[in-house]
Amino acid sequence: MIVGAVGVITLKQPVHAALSLVGTLLTLATIYVGLEAHFLASIQVIVYAGAIMVLFLFVIMLLNIQQDPGPGAFKWLRPAAYGVAGLAGLALIAAVTQNTPPLPAPEVIDATLAGGGPDAIGTALFRDFVLAFQLVGVLLLTGIIGAVSLVQRKAVSVQESETERPLEAVSS
Amino acid sequence: MVPTEYYVALSAIIFTIGALGVLTRRSAIMIFLSVELMLNAANLALVAYARQWSAAGADVALSGQAAVFIILAIAAAEVAVGLGILVAIFRYRTSSDVDGLAQVRL
Repeated sequence: MIVGAVGVITLKQPVHAALSLVGTLLTLATIYVGLEAHFLASIQVIVYAGAIMVLFLFVIMLLNIQQDPGPGAFKWLRPAAYGVAGLAGLALIAAVTQNTPPLPAPEVIDATLAGGGPDAIGTALFRDFVLAFQLVGVLLLTGIIGAVSLVQRKAVSVQESETERPLEAVSS
Repeated sequence: MVPTEYYVALSAIIFTIGALGVLTRRSAIMIFLSVELMLNAANLALVAYARQWSAAGADVALSGQAAVFIILAIAAAEVAVGLGILVAIFRYRTSSDVDGLAQVRL
C-alpha cells in the first residue's frame, strides 16, 4: 500500500499515477475487511476505486495531460518538502503510537461492530448522523448544480465565439 | 489481532505521502490525486479507532464508520466539482500547471 502511495506522487505519467492510486485504494479495502468494516470495504471498491477513479481517468484522457513539468520556479521547494514531510511523518507516528490502550476482546469487537454490515452502519447513520446525512445530500445537490453550471457557461462561450467569427471574417 | 497502533501509523505515513505530493507536484490533477490519498488516510484512522473503541458500545464505535461513509460522499462531490473547474480552466490555458495560475475568475 505504501508502494502504491509513493507511486502516486513519484510516477511521471498521470495515468500511471492514477492506476497506482487505484491499487492503493483496493489495498485499503482489504484492510477495511480486516478491521471489521465489510460494508465500507465494498463501498470503497465500488465508489472510490470504481466511480471516482474512472472520473479521474476520464479527465486525464479527455484533457490529454502530458508528463509533469518537473520543478519550475520553486526548485528549492522539493527537497524542503521532502525534509519537512519526513519530520512530520516521524512526529505523527510517534504521537499516535503512545499510550494506546489494548484492544478489547475479539468477542466484544464482533458483538459491537457486527462485522460493519449495512444494518449496523445504517442504524448509526440514520439515527446519530441524520443531520450530517441531510447536509451531505444538500452538498451533493450543490455539487451537481455547480458542475452543470460550469459546463453550461462553457457552452455559452463557445456559441458566442462561433457566431462572432464569421462577422470578423466579413469585416476584414 | 493487529493492534491499532500499526493501522494508525500506516495512516500517518499515507497522509504524509499525500501532503508531500500536494507540495511537490505541479500538475493540478496530480494534486487532486494526492488529496485523495490524504482523505483515505483519514478514513483508515477512523475505521481503526472504531474497532479500538468497540468496548464503549455500538453507538460510539459505529459512529466512526458512519463518519467514513459521509467523508466518502463529500469526497465524491469534491472530485466532481474540482474536475469540472479543472476542465473549465484547461479550456483557456491548455496547461495544468498551478504555479502560473494566478487569475481564477470564472
